[in-house]
Amino acid sequence: MKNKHSLLQLFCFTGLWLLFSSIAQAQSPQVSGSIKDETGAAVQGADIIIKGSAKGVQSGPTGKFTIPIQGASATLIISHVGFATQEIPASAGSTQEIVLKRNASALNDVVVIGYGTQRRREVTGAVAVVDLAATKDVPVANPTRLLVGQAPGVTVRQATGRPGGEFEINVRGLGSLGAGSAPLYVVDGFPVGTSLGQNFNGSDIENITILKDAVSTAIYGARGSNGVVLITTKNGKPGAPVLNVSSTYGIQNIPSGRKVKMLDGQEFAQFKKDIFMDKIRYFENREPDITEVPLDYRYPEQVKTSTNWFDATLHDNAPFSNYYASLSQGNNNIHSFLSAGYTRQEGILLNTKFDNLSVRGNIDGKVNDNISMGLRVNADLASNNLAQATEGRDNIVGASLIADPRDPIRNPDGSYFAYIGGHDGVFGFANPVMSLTDIQSRSNIGQMVANAFIEISFLKNFKFKSSLNGLLNYNSYKQFVPSYIPGENAPPPRYASETDQQINTRNYSTDQLLTYNNTFGNHRINVLIGYTAQDEKTTTLNAGGTQYANDLTPFLGSAALKTNGSGEYGWSLDAFFGRINFVFAEKYLFSGSFRREGSSRFGENVKYGNFPALSAGWRISNEKFMSDISWLSDLKLRGSWGITGNNGIPNYGSLAFMSNNNYVLDNNLVRGQVVSNLPNPTLKWERSGQLDLGVDLAAFRDKLTFTAEYYNKITNDMLLSIPLPAISGFTSYLANIGKVQNKGFEFAARYKTKVHSVGLWVNGNISINRNKVLAINGPNDQLLAGDFYGGYNISRPGSPIGAIFGFRMLGVFKNQADIDKSPFQDGAIPGVYKYYDADHNDTISYDTKDMVQIGNPWPKFTYGLSIGGDFKHFDFSVLINGAQGYDIYRVIEASTMNMDGVFNVLEESKQRYRNEQNPGNGRLATTNTWKWERESNSRYIYSGSHMWIKNISIGYTFNPATPKLMFKSLRLYASGDNMFLFTKYPGSNPEVNNRGGINPGLDDEAYPLARTFTFGVNFTF
Amino acid sequence: MRIIIIRLLAITFTLSSVSCAKSYLNKTDPTKVSTDVFYKDAKQLEQAVNGVYGALQGIANDQWITNELPSDNTTIDFNPGDRGQSDRIEAFEFYTINANSTNLNSSYINYYNSIYNANNTLAKMQGATGLSDSVKAVNEGQLKFIRAYLYFELTQYYGDVILITQPLDKPSDAWTYQREKQENVYAQIESDLKDAVNDLPVKYQAGHIGRATKGAALSLLGKVFLTEKKYSDAVTTLNQVLPLGYDLNDDYADAFNPQKKNGIESVFEIQYDAAIDGEWSSFIYTFAPRLSAGAVTGWSQSNPGGWNIPTNDIINTYEAGDKRKDASIGLNFQSPVTGLTVPYIKKYAHPHAVYGRTDDNWPVLRYSDVLLMLAEAINEQDNNPTTDAYTYLNKVRHRAGLADVSGLSYQSFKDTLAHERRVELAFENWRWFDLKRTMTPAELTTFINNYAAKEKANPTVTRQGVPYSNTDYVFSQYEALFPIPANEIIVNPKLTQTPGY
Repeated sequence: MKNKHSLLQLFCFTGLWLLFSSIAQAQSPQVSGSIKDETGAAVQGADIIIKGSAKGVQSGPTGKFTIPIQGASATLIISHVGFATQEIPASAGSTQEIVLKRNASALNDVVVIGYGTQRRREVTGAVAVVDLAATKDVPVANPTRLLVGQAPGVTVRQATGRPGGEFEINVRGLGSLGAGSAPLYVVDGFPVGTSLGQNFNGSDIENITILKDAVSTAIYGARGSNGVVLITTKNGKPGAPVLNVSSTYGIQNIPSGRKVKMLDGQEFAQFKKDIFMDKIRYFENREPDITEVPLDYRYPEQVKTSTNWFDATLHDNAPFSNYYASLSQGNNNIHSFLSAGYTRQEGILLNTKFDNLSVRGNIDGKVNDNISMGLRVNADLASNNLAQATEGRDNIVGASLIADPRDPIRNPDGSYFAYIGGHDGVFGFANPVMSLTDIQSRSNIGQMVANAFIEISFLKNFKFKSSLNGLLNYNSYKQFVPSYIPGENAPPPRYASETDQQINTRNYSTDQLLTYNNTFGNHRINVLIGYTAQDEKTTTLNAGGTQYANDLTPFLGSAALKTNGSGEYGWSLDAFFGRINFVFAEKYLFSGSFRREGSSRFGENVKYGNFPALSAGWRISNEKFMSDISWLSDLKLRGSWGITGNNGIPNYGSLAFMSNNNYVLDNNLVRGQVVSNLPNPTLKWERSGQLDLGVDLAAFRDKLTFTAEYYNKITNDMLLSIPLPAISGFTSYLANIGKVQNKGFEFAARYKTKVHSVGLWVNGNISINRNKVLAINGPNDQLLAGDFYGGYNISRPGSPIGAIFGFRMLGVFKNQADIDKSPFQDGAIPGVYKYYDADHNDTISYDTKDMVQIGNPWPKFTYGLSIGGDFKHFDFSVLINGAQGYDIYRVIEASTMNMDGVFNVLEESKQRYRNEQNPGNGRLATTNTWKWERESNSRYIYSGSHMWIKNISIGYTFNPATPKLMFKSLRLYASGDNMFLFTKYPGSNPEVNNRGGINPGLDDEAYPLARTFTFGVNFTF
Repeated sequence: MRIIIIRLLAITFTLSSVSCAKSYLNKTDPTKVSTDVFYKDAKQLEQAVNGVYGALQGIANDQWITNELPSDNTTIDFNPGDRGQSDRIEAFEFYTINANSTNLNSSYINYYNSIYNANNTLAKMQGATGLSDSVKAVNEGQLKFIRAYLYFELTQYYGDVILITQPLDKPSDAWTYQREKQENVYAQIESDLKDAVNDLPVKYQAGHIGRATKGAALSLLGKVFLTEKKYSDAVTTLNQVLPLGYDLNDDYADAFNPQKKNGIESVFEIQYDAAIDGEWSSFIYTFAPRLSAGAVTGWSQSNPGGWNIPTNDIINTYEAGDKRKDASIGLNFQSPVTGLTVPYIKKYAHPHAVYGRTDDNWPVLRYSDVLLMLAEAINEQDNNPTTDAYTYLNKVRHRAGLADVSGLSYQSFKDTLAHERRVELAFENWRWFDLKRTMTPAELTTFINNYAAKEKANPTVTRQGVPYSNTDYVFSQYEALFPIPANEIIVNPKLTQTPGY
């Protein structure tokens, strides 16, 4: 249906064009001419203004123009986006051939915005352009890496080191408690979702723009409130064909300073022995006899084996390689870009790996002066060797820290020693090295994205663009766990098991855009109206098998027991939108947009939402009174306000469904159905109102640019899973409740200079964001997530989202007298934690009543700094980024500092409380009990402040003077990524965020981050 | 000219707006039935009733934690290598339960979710079409029986509990409910069971065996009266079970034999089936000693839980010659680490064809329970055992291979019955309730602390030298009731906690 109507629209406008194209124009003294670019191509839409007057015209499709003048001669000012402005004296009746030169000045750059482009100097919203030149030598396995430290207000965290892993991106804080907080990614005009996934080659990217404020994002309506990342892929530039071939190779390692230090075999045996004897000393008040100590750890000094499991799981010098070739050309009316790339990142954990093979073809062409078309196709295959889950204490990384160090990796015969621990009171784990190498776990994700458009210019000022986008994603996953792999406390042999999944997604969208561009004298106006519709459907097929005849045939056919299932889900949206940009006298800038959008995800009665936005700017530097200040090339004040939405909730969240709960009667299956959730027919958009005030400044012939920004974003009707009393039958339901504020300042500055042959640039930004819950209008005015023994995050009015919550630990009880004089803690013994009595009732209750906010997971500020320079053939760049003033709850220490003696523990455990005479360092509890030790408390809080020297790159570029050589340019470069981390945080990665969402700032150990050294070569032919 | 353009645009957009027909944005989960279109006919209502039965499986799977472990019947196969359960399941053995217990939390959620489905189905039944009054009555009777059973369990756990018998109009209503006095909870249970007695048939036709019957409703009502100490009501009610055709199996073990499910002795059991996907039970995998691998389950890949281990106390309580001992308790497994015997519950250990999938039903009400309840009610009512009371008690003893008893005083008859119930119904999730029912809170406290001291001094399963904590096996009177899960009080701070916690 939709497509039919877009055709209809197209006919309508074609008709209009035919109707009006023959209108003639009046005659008087005039200048005519044509405008071309340096390649000789006609420039349409250039502004021609008569100096000293307000009159102006635009060049037509063939670059031709005619402008009436007063008197015999005049000076024409010709300007166009992306070109240097020229002044040309002309006499009446003359014909001018004008060649516009492309302008490198940042201010004249075109910025990609939603459904269009805009001159940077006329932008009135908060739009950040990522400097891709600064990251050209960085080894990139996922394109989200390109955003690190580049834009103020855009927090990019590498929460995990998984090969090919996506970085976590937040624009202007966490704007939602329950509906997702990742930005919308739009690739070549196609909104692909809130994740860029793994199927994208970063080398194909021409530019990245991040839209932050409401006037920039409201045009994306219900998906705009978390910011929008616009990615444009490369296309051929005018000129001769260019072939670019590059190759990068590198190695990855974990620096020893970033490894967590655990006890070795002998130390662990000593720890076990001490626990055993201390318990008898305390509970039975006697000195134990050595013969009482179990033989396994009676003589720690005799322990022969000591395995550092974490080291054993590492793949030292894991290779990283990247090969890329592109051919771009642009002559006559066809511009094209073809590329192929292959990236392989072997993981720093054994047998983990990411491969990406990508091919792309982009082609744009002008059919004639009025019609142009384009097609962009990208096919990509991404493969992951994940060797089982890695994150968290129950998986490989956690297990490699806490597994018994007294067991060897291999038996004397070379086979794996399979079951680690599982004796003398130590937890049993699968040998993590064996799990990595012997468990097959592989996903293959194939994706095809295509965009096609046709654009018709008519009536000189109108353009109609119709585009169709499609995405197909085929994701298959297979895991096979052989029978000899133990489980947690489950020795082998067990049954082998297999899991298979196929998840296929298809997503289509279509846009119909009508634009009107015109200049009347001092006025320049740009109008956009459009319609878009998008539909996504995912089908799933899954199967599992167990009880295999042997481990050699890991296919379902060999399984004695099988399970299977299939599913389907999807969503759709459609929207009308419009925008007006208006510039008056190059000084006063206005913009307004509106979108009305409907989504299948929302309740029956609230399907549609409205998203308006307005902004204004004042280019003070163009005022007469500023004309004396010659060093100032641009000064602009701007402000915007608008409403955006967030639809990141489950597809059918407003509806209630039945689910199967079968039963048996008379030895036969009977079908049973129960209600699986509560409906909410009024479920609707999460709405954010955002105010943005900014100042843009450029000085010293644009060598220095500076932007400062203030914003205040208030999110209403937050989509939340509201905890319900269980007596309702359920524990939660989805509703629009609550209000959150994110406000902050952003500063960005760039300085670029050249002194003789030395070029230097510095690019820095600082972001300060404060988030605060303003209201949670539920029956219970707070949201508590997490658990009593594993860290709580609380969201309640006046506090930041997901503030870390628990007992405040005041120290350890030195002795019974200390316990007696403190508030009552039921069952406390010397050596357990002393907690703060928050409700002053002289009792610490064993629940949340005495818990307080013990940490803030949100940084006071984050920053990025890039420094670069060049000298003759050499260039270098350094990227620094960091975050300051936030807390991390190190939940992994519930295991790595577990005093039961069932796990290996951190080296610091040696400083635990032993007895009154030997009280340790005052923050580590006794081994005699567990109560008053494991509860969520401030003992596990650490400052996460850190600074990364994220990357250092140097390069050498050689442009041979003699064209006899085959190549035009040769570039050699070396790069070090994740170079140096400066922090007091004891964990390996202060950007970790194991749970995410409203459970921020918890460290349960993630895939470690490697330091990568790469060397590359790049030929341009 | 501009006006024309605007008009044309307006027309085109109006056309497009029509295209975004509502159906385009109306999506529903294609894999599930929406609640809006369910509960419409007899078949769907039967499925909704079955769903409520289905939920009982989940409840029975974990009920031993709250009903057997705190009693003197069972303990744990202590695992020094995994202390992760020390604040969870073990707390029920060591009397260190607190409101953060994840087991209580999930149990509470399961009970009220099942109650919701019963309430909702009862309410929706009014709107269904093509439902005869008799079909409706049988459905209602079953749902009320199950609801009464769930509330009976809940009030034994927590005393005063929230009583909710309707689906909520809106979610926020959930905050308006407070814990109801136990007597009101009992009144609701009695009313539901009386309806069920009237509505339910004595027997079902083939294909429906396993549904709640009139006998089940009467037996449960008798148990409720007995618990409320309404002895004459209990006698009257339980007497009505006698003519319904129940009898004891000749062999005690047959009551638990998957080959002989729903036999003559069975009053109500929760149904499982090893051969049906997702419907199997796996109790023995939870109850077999930790290191027994395949020795008890028959499947060497097993990694059993080692929970609900029979205590020395119950092992030693059987009279010589009691056939029930061998049918209930296995004493043939020695730990490979310590070489010592680790006992286990044998009632639910039966050979099964597929690893992890057992065919054992869970017995809820058996005829022997009815006979012993009746004997108890008579003794309490008359303050003296009557001939009938001896007849019922001796019938149970006779089947166990034991000599009749006679000439007992009120108190010794009561004591004999307590012992008889303990061994007859061992590990069937009644012991903890029986202890609470037959003792005053102070008596219970002394009794449990005596048992605890014995178990602590001489654990059934060795702790391999690991000493107890000071708080282990210390029972306080308030612990006869469980704490309301902490989550519930976090969500609804107005909800009161059980005193003591």
